[in-house]
Amino acid sequence: MAPSAQLETFTNGVETAVDVAQIEGQLHELWQLAADSEKDPMQRQITRACLFNFIVLAESDTATAHASDVISTLTSHYPCRAIVLSAGPGNASSELSASIAAHCHLAGTGQKQVCCEQIVIRASGESITHLGSAVLPLLESDLPTIMWWQGNFLTRMDLFRRLAAVADRVIYDTSVWPDPHSQLAGLLRALTEHPRCSFTDLSWTRLGLWRKLAAEFFDEPRCRAELLQIRNIDIVHGCGPGAGLRGLLCGSWFAAQLGWPLPTANARIHLSERDDGDATSVGIISIAIKTGDATFSIRKDHGERTASATVDMPCACGLPRKRAFWPDDDVSLLSQELDRPARDPVYEKALAIAVALLESDRSPIN
Amino acid sequence: MQNTLATNPLRQGISTREAPGPCALVIFGATGDLTHRKLVPALYNLAHEGQLPQSFAIVGFARRPKTHDQFRAELRDSVAQFSRFQPINAPVWDAFAQTIFYHQSEFADAQGYKALDGLLRKLDAERGTDGNRLFYLATAPTEFISIIEHLGASGLVESGAASRQRIIVEKPFGRSLATAGELNRALANVFDELHTFRIDHYLGKETVQNILALRFANEIFEPLWNQKYIDHVQITVAESLGVEGRGGYYDQSGAIRDMVQNHMMQLLCLMAMEPPTALEAEVIHDEKVKVLRAIRPITPDEVQEFTVRGQYARGSMAGKPVPGYREEKSVAPDSRTETFVALKLFIDNWRWAGVPFYLRHGKRLPKGVAEIAIQFKAPPAVLFAAGSPEPLEPNALVLRIQPDEGIAIRMNAKVPGNVINLQPVKMDFRYGGSFGARSPEAYERLLHDAIIGDSTLFTRRDEVERSWQLIDAIIAGWDASPAPFPYEAGTWGPVEADEFIQRDGREWRRP
Repeated sequence: MAPSAQLETFTNGVETAVDVAQIEGQLHELWQLAADSEKDPMQRQITRACLFNFIVLAESDTATAHASDVISTLTSHYPCRAIVLSAGPGNASSELSASIAAHCHLAGTGQKQVCCEQIVIRASGESITHLGSAVLPLLESDLPTIMWWQGNFLTRMDLFRRLAAVADRVIYDTSVWPDPHSQLAGLLRALTEHPRCSFTDLSWTRLGLWRKLAAEFFDEPRCRAELLQIRNIDIVHGCGPGAGLRGLLCGSWFAAQLGWPLPTANARIHLSERDDGDATSVGIISIAIKTGDATFSIRKDHGERTASATVDMPCACGLPRKRAFWPDDDVSLLSQELDRPARDPVYEKALAIAVALLESDRSPIN
Repeated sequence: MQNTLATNPLRQGISTREAPGPCALVIFGATGDLTHRKLVPALYNLAHEGQLPQSFAIVGFARRPKTHDQFRAELRDSVAQFSRFQPINAPVWDAFAQTIFYHQSEFADAQGYKALDGLLRKLDAERGTDGNRLFYLATAPTEFISIIEHLGASGLVESGAASRQRIIVEKPFGRSLATAGELNRALANVFDELHTFRIDHYLGKETVQNILALRFANEIFEPLWNQKYIDHVQITVAESLGVEGRGGYYDQSGAIRDMVQNHMMQLLCLMAMEPPTALEAEVIHDEKVKVLRAIRPITPDEVQEFTVRGQYARGSMAGKPVPGYREEKSVAPDSRTETFVALKLFIDNWRWAGVPFYLRHGKRLPKGVAEIAIQFKAPPAVLFAAGSPEPLEPNALVLRIQPDEGIAIRMNAKVPGNVINLQPVKMDFRYGGSFGARSPEAYERLLHDAIIGDSTLFTRRDEVERSWQLIDAIIAGWDASPAPFPYEAGTWGPVEADEFIQRDGREWRRP
């Protein structure tokens, strides 16, 4: 293929097969072609940008294709070197195969394109164990490494440990884990085993608006005093995947932040499941915080992507508030997380309480 | 847990700032362009982000008769057009619209303020705004003093530092030291300085705030940030637009009042100030005032040496003919108002002694751009002089404020080959490429800060007055000088501006 056609294929996001050992060399050549093309006013101006290494673990062809779609959108705001590790069931080949492509977006108001690399390494069967060693030489130096594991990493702990050793942050979504409640203790152990790596659960990210609305109730000193008078917190969740776990994490968050010991948390947090016939109610449906004199309620609006917060209290502070949920597709959730500092001690505390609640005799979900 | 809670424990780890306390925002000039294009879209954006107080109301105060619903409907159209969140989110808008009210009155009608007081008290009871008021002067500047006096006379403002009422004053803040002083005195009669917010929307821009981050969060720059390493600084704010229907206002104002006295002086202060001891409003204001006090005044006799002013003549922009300034609507045919200004300023302190700061602003320049360029001294030529007939390009650090916000560094590198041949190369960081274009609008940040009472990004009385003192002397010199030099629209200003900097052995950058 002519060099210009090769560059065009690459920057149009079309995957080009390469030898695993030649990935860096091939990328270098393509960027050299891009630099040369800048001298030609008829050619597109291209800049490569990279703020972090982004390792994505995909365990099926569908997951690999989804990862590629997510990266394509995400890189418009978060330039990175994306390394997709496609670990399919497949045959027992010991060979790894690889491809490279670029995702390019117009930058600002100019005509210059900002491009990010995507490397896909495919492995199946036994070769999956070699993925760790294939990744290490591909990491850009002096940049943080973020790993998004699309499935449940607890089922591939060997590979996870190898990759987590070089990762600064691991992102996962317990909503898609089968029976996540039974996995929480293992998850907490993984957190403890990797103290220099921060852990982010997209299930926790989905609680963002609920936590924010709940916190806003108590910004005002008059209302804040009510935090000391809470009698119970009723959390109703839907039947969707991970909804129960989200309810538990939310309740655990209240307990952790309010400093409740386990028996108090068990007595005051009530979780219940309800199928309210609203297809959009896949997570939490409502939270009611009840004190002696007041009720602070947050309710997902039926059929809407909004939640309303109301206060029922003598000398009420505040109007009803309505707030839009962020979209909860992977691009939006990952974007929210990439905007935040990695380590989230609040999540870690809530997770520890959730595990303790599950292990206690009077768990709120029993 | 303690019996009382000093802070909200549920706030820990939540990325947005604490929602501000209850507030009623009264916008004077509610039917004007600023309200529709900037203020209400910014408030809607804050509502979208959950950054407005829980107990909140907006009262639009203007002369034209209309109902609350008419006003809301007009604002909805503006939000749909100018909000950064597109399309408009219907449930968020519906909740936001419930906070909007309209109050019709002449600005000089005492009864109108009495009725406003009644409406605000009603909102206090119904909406929980609790006596906290933020008054926003978005009218023509000629109305400012009358509105302030009526606010004081009507009892809408409590006296002293414990007052729960604040005021935001839009630009222009006076047109001379005398008029700014008069406005400041009127404000001080009614509002405490702590509660007075003089807006300069440049300070709300993300990249302007980033000047402090770049300087004081990176160890590599600050040691070089002085007269030992820096040859000169160029601050450019170029506009491709003409007066755009504001000829009447602009002809009374001119480039130096419209842009230099406020925005460019603020950029200069942030660029040149000493490290503040804390990121607190008063500390930062103090440091900026020190810079303004250290600027060597240009006396009326010195304007020929230290300034150039120009006025655009007929020309073409992007291939289309455009009229000259004197042909614009509401501009006097013999106007002497400048549409271009170039200044050379010196800051007489230890850090900046002998370093010229060139400020350049104009209308109808080839493109709209704002940047601060720090030109370092040239390296000694002993090593590479033999291999290159041209002197080495000095390093430059460019902070681009708009568009394509970012930072670029120019350095010299060897061209690959068997001989030593050096060429300047540019390392370019663009916010758009690295963080996406999701910065809040300047007015969002400034309105939120005013609601919570943080004046860091506003200007203090002494800043404004010192800045006018410097500018007044220049204007006095110009009044006794020949008319501004003409320049063709679509060029980088009059040739005299090029000669002005070339006399110092330097060149204007072409941004």
